[in-house]
Amino acid sequence: MTRARRATILSYAILILAGFLSLFPILWIMGISLKTQADAFAMPPKLIFVPIWDHYAKVWGDAAFIKGFFNSVLAALLGNLMAFVIGIPAAFALNQRRVPARGAILAWLLLSYMLPEFLFVIPMYGLFQATGLYDSVFGLALVYQTFTLPFTIWMMRAFFADVPFALYEAARLEGAKSWQILLRVYLPMAAPGIAATAILNTIRIWNELAIALGLTFDKAQTVTLAVAAYRGYASIDWGALSAAAITSMLPMLIFAVLAQRQIVGGLSLGAVK
Amino acid sequence: MAQDSAPSQPNLWPYVLPTVLVLGACTLYPIATVLWMSLHDWTWGGDSVFSGLKNFKLLWLKGSFVIALMNTVTFAISAVLVELVLGMILALAANRVTRGAGVFRVLMILPLMVSGIAVSLVWKVLLDPTFGVINAALAGVGLPEPNWLGSTSTAMASLVMVETWWQTGFVFIILAAALKSLPEEPFEAARLEGANGWQMFRYLTLPMLRPVIVTVVVFRLIDTLKVFDLVFGLTGGGPLRATEAVQTLTYQTAFKFSNFGEAAAIVVIFSALIFAICAAYGALDRRTGGAE
Repeated sequence: MTRARRATILSYAILILAGFLSLFPILWIMGISLKTQADAFAMPPKLIFVPIWDHYAKVWGDAAFIKGFFNSVLAALLGNLMAFVIGIPAAFALNQRRVPARGAILAWLLLSYMLPEFLFVIPMYGLFQATGLYDSVFGLALVYQTFTLPFTIWMMRAFFADVPFALYEAARLEGAKSWQILLRVYLPMAAPGIAATAILNTIRIWNELAIALGLTFDKAQTVTLAVAAYRGYASIDWGALSAAAITSMLPMLIFAVLAQRQIVGGLSLGAVK
Repeated sequence: MAQDSAPSQPNLWPYVLPTVLVLGACTLYPIATVLWMSLHDWTWGGDSVFSGLKNFKLLWLKGSFVIALMNTVTFAISAVLVELVLGMILALAANRVTRGAGVFRVLMILPLMVSGIAVSLVWKVLLDPTFGVINAALAGVGLPEPNWLGSTSTAMASLVMVETWWQTGFVFIILAAALKSLPEEPFEAARLEGANGWQMFRYLTLPMLRPVIVTVVVFRLIDTLKVFDLVFGLTGGGPLRATEAVQTLTYQTAFKFSNFGEAAAIVVIFSALIFAICAAYGALDRRTGGAE
């Protein structure tokens, strides 16, 4: 056997092992979410069992969980909407290099993305209490702009940069204004970019915990907080805990399978380009 | 790559104005407020008395902040190192294979899709010392069964392991994309000269990937320094503060003990640290001619 062939076989072995390790925890918990209490605690673990749906019925009968789920859907919609309405014109202008203090704005965006959550949570806690934004999905979506807005601008700027400059010049010659060029030339061409960005924003918002923990109390609680409430079941009711975890992650796992290309492309865009 | 424009075209500052306003409200206001709070004995709505550096001195004297900072740095550096090595091995392996690469990519991004709190619940069940499948497997082959999250000697390592399961996919995706974008010619030339696989990795792949590696390390480092969800979900900072992190301590100080002045002082120090890493990265990036 040649060296190259051995290396290829080793590569396959590594990838199969890594793929298995990646998938196994999720599959295992999915199994527990479908097992009876006795089966879940059985030693050695039962690989073959009759699935039951009781735990899912329990989680979906939990009003707090349902509320959290739909609050997160709303937060993702609002957060994306704000980020695109505010960020697309900014991305266009920053890409065109027609903005004063361009470098400073770009650095500020990066910093906003990087700073710790509690830097935003602690002051906003007071401000939101005073203004009525505390425990509201709108307030949450606003603070989420500290990461969705920079990320959206970054991504859209990269997609706008791929639009041929000749198209811009042609539109200019026909007398189009900047906003018309943005809407009619740049946006349609960057449509796949908008999809990729929206997916990544949604994943990030869906999974956010620290800010939601600090700035909501009851009516605006998100899905991550609803899942966190099941931590207390860790030693007693594994079925309900697993069903809650699986329900919360399922929408994003489906995203991963359906939009694999956009997610992979989006994640690598910033670092490689 | 951005485009240059003719000087006759109008300045587009109104296009960035909403961004500047929102960023101002969401970052400048908090920065100013936190600085102010850290210098006061703060109570919401009540009188806040100027107290100079008292909050910072208390942090130092109480010691819990120093412990949390050390834990956090240990966690971040270990996790990033493991993720970088594993991500690199996987990217190199994926670069060699032709069939099944797409399926493998999906498998590797699955953990990235899961929230930190759901990851915590999943691993709490897997690592359960009495009923968990991992200890059952270890017992099956006659190995010792550690009390993963419950013992001071293994809790931190367990956190790093869970974090690695969660985020190695990110490092892999980026390194794999970067590997694909490398030019073929230098590798062919080296092969003709008789270079072996390790030499090509050491003297060609690694230097060419350096800007990407630096970017990935900075992103992962900052993200792991900010660790909150996993600690909150898996250990709550215990046992005996063995896994207390800066952000969980901030949360406790502010929302459990209502000590906002001291929490603000932690945030000030921690944000300065993050800022310093960003600034160093910016300077480095400009020098090496990476993306702006």
